Amino acid sequence: MELSVDHLRKAYRTMRLIRGFEERLHVEFATGEISGFVHLYAGEEAIATGVLLLLDDRDKITSTHRGHGHCLAKGCDVYGMMDEIYGRKTGLCAGKGGSMHIADLTKGMLGANGIVGGGPPLACGAALAAKRLGTGGIAIAFVGDGGANQGTFLESLNLASIWTLPCVFVIENNGYAEATSCKYAGACDDFADRANGFNMPGVTADGHDFFAVHEAASEAIRRAREGGGPSLLEFKVNRYFGHYEGDTQAYRAPAEVEKIRAARDCIHDFASKVISAQLLKQAELESIDREVKALIDDAVRKAKAAPRPERVDLLTDVYDSY
Amino acid sequence: MGAIWTKKRSAHGDVVGILANPASGRDIRRLVAHSTVFPIAEKCNIVVRLLSALGATGVQQVLLVPDRGGIAARVRRIVAAQGSQERWPEVVFLDMPVEDGPMDTVRGAEKMSAAGVGAIVVLGGDGTQRLAASACGDVPLMALSTGTNNVFPELREPTIAGLATGLVATGQVSVAAATVRNKVLRLEINGVPQELAVVDVSVSDHRWVGSKALWRPDTLDQIFVAFADPDAIGLSSVAGLLRSVSRRAAYGLRVDLSPPGRAPLTLTCPIAPGLMMPVGIEGVCEIQVGEVQNLRLTEGVIALDGERELSFTSDLRLTVRLDALGPFTIDVDYVMARAARDGLLVVRPPVGEATGGKLWN
Repeated sequence: MELSVDHLRKAYRTMRLIRGFEERLHVEFATGEISGFVHLYAGEEAIATGVLLLLDDRDKITSTHRGHGHCLAKGCDVYGMMDEIYGRKTGLCAGKGGSMHIADLTKGMLGANGIVGGGPPLACGAALAAKRLGTGGIAIAFVGDGGANQGTFLESLNLASIWTLPCVFVIENNGYAEATSCKYAGACDDFADRANGFNMPGVTADGHDFFAVHEAASEAIRRAREGGGPSLLEFKVNRYFGHYEGDTQAYRAPAEVEKIRAARDCIHDFASKVISAQLLKQAELESIDREVKALIDDAVRKAKAAPRPERVDLLTDVYDSY
Repeated sequence: MGAIWTKKRSAHGDVVGILANPASGRDIRRLVAHSTVFPIAEKCNIVVRLLSALGATGVQQVLLVPDRGGIAARVRRIVAAQGSQERWPEVVFLDMPVEDGPMDTVRGAEKMSAAGVGAIVVLGGDGTQRLAASACGDVPLMALSTGTNNVFPELREPTIAGLATGLVATGQVSVAAATVRNKVLRLEINGVPQELAVVDVSVSDHRWVGSKALWRPDTLDQIFVAFADPDAIGLSSVAGLLRSVSRRAAYGLRVDLSPPGRAPLTLTCPIAPGLMMPVGIEGVCEIQVGEVQNLRLTEGVIALDGERELSFTSDLRLTVRLDALGPFTIDVDYVMARAARDGLLVVRPPVGEATGGKLWN
């Protein structure tokens, strides 16, 4: 897909929205007002944005425990998400899912997932449904490098391949499965190499570079839509925060995160490229920054004021009714 | 195992460098074409075959670059587990920072050159060879293919490439006789050389570097080549299918393109493995060594050896110049012919034992 100026503007806003959302949660979580765990996506914005800019309403995605970025890039409502993370009745899942279980089926977002590697089998199901119903839709399964070592992931690659499913598997390799280096835990050095064993193409690209992500995803999604079957994309990236909020990150080298923030910031990189190409102006980007900040401020304010689920709500919304 | 018959050695010739790019052979052309995946394990296997051959020629030490891609770790394990009958050179990893990027290859080549290695073996595609060539100085390269589009490096059995490299590095075959000097294309910005290409410089109307590989000829405006083989794969195949230009010729080619159908000539070209594309040819001309070539586009992206590297706008004046003073590369055919003719791989019998009987009747 060729990127228009509108696409670039939307991409910048999405990345800025994710970054602002996550950095605000980093602050708010420390106040103790948010229950459960949150796993922040800051640093990885180019992946969710570059991939999901290519999808439409026919398409489904499955996410991970680090799912806020995927939700926002797929179009989930910022207020509904913030309410959900705060455990409010007005949240996307009525406040019963929290950060790790946000889902919005109306947006094709089949759910963040507390089970590592839990998403890929669901994506295969969604892709099979799209294929059988002839919707023209596809499914994207996001996993981390930890999820890529799970049996569910490998079984899903196999299933997607033998059924030629319109499915794209996206590995966000941020180098650590919780606190375990992927160099220790992975028997291969590039997870994309595993694609060969499942008779599908596998590509490794820079997950900090929106344009590299978008281009690779564009080709994989085109292939899936045209009936070519599944692909595996591995994006090498870094996360700016710990595995979860509160993680002391003792497993990371001193100043590792600071160096990464200084050298590998996908938003800064994107901004400098589009300004240098004279497609967007600095003032326009700053205007987006202000609009996003105001939106997040308002979402937090409203979430704090929103009602919590009541005792009578305990057994509702637990299972979907088919 | 008997000793190898050795002749004179150069001062530093017992040391060879190996640059193995972990990232080569895994870009987007696995998705848009049918390019081969070159896994890390196979690259390590190649390093091992090189070690075996280099050791057999008397090379005492091999320098390798550290990496986080898995090659260094695997090679360390393999070397630690080698059998006592193996006669591999000592393996030393350079003390240098690792960025997991192109600078690792550049920095590695610089350090190897500064260490006085007799030769550098480079494992990668044209892009990796380009990086090594930019920093190796006069140290001869043994360019081996482990990439996607491989025009500059050779598809050689690494064992044979290792033997040839070792024979040159140890002075058993002279560098002057065993190497050829290659042309390169220099990309200049506002008249100042910035980058080089060992095969081709392409100008595209792409806006972004993105996933780097360039596989859509409809985005191309011009291709400059240092040499052109009709049996090449990649962008230089466009030139090669118009006119063959050897690596030793004192000129290169510039091909101006326009959309197929509007162009006077349309060629079917192998742009990437398994990817045949129509390419519209507007014109072709020779470019002489030293001649400065201006670009037609005022904004777009420059691809060096098939990989998008630099986006430019009208505020930069970009030119391309053919330079005869590129890297030296080892001529494997010549070296191995000399090895056969001069008995360079004959095993010397232990002292006191008679040599073998008459071989030829």
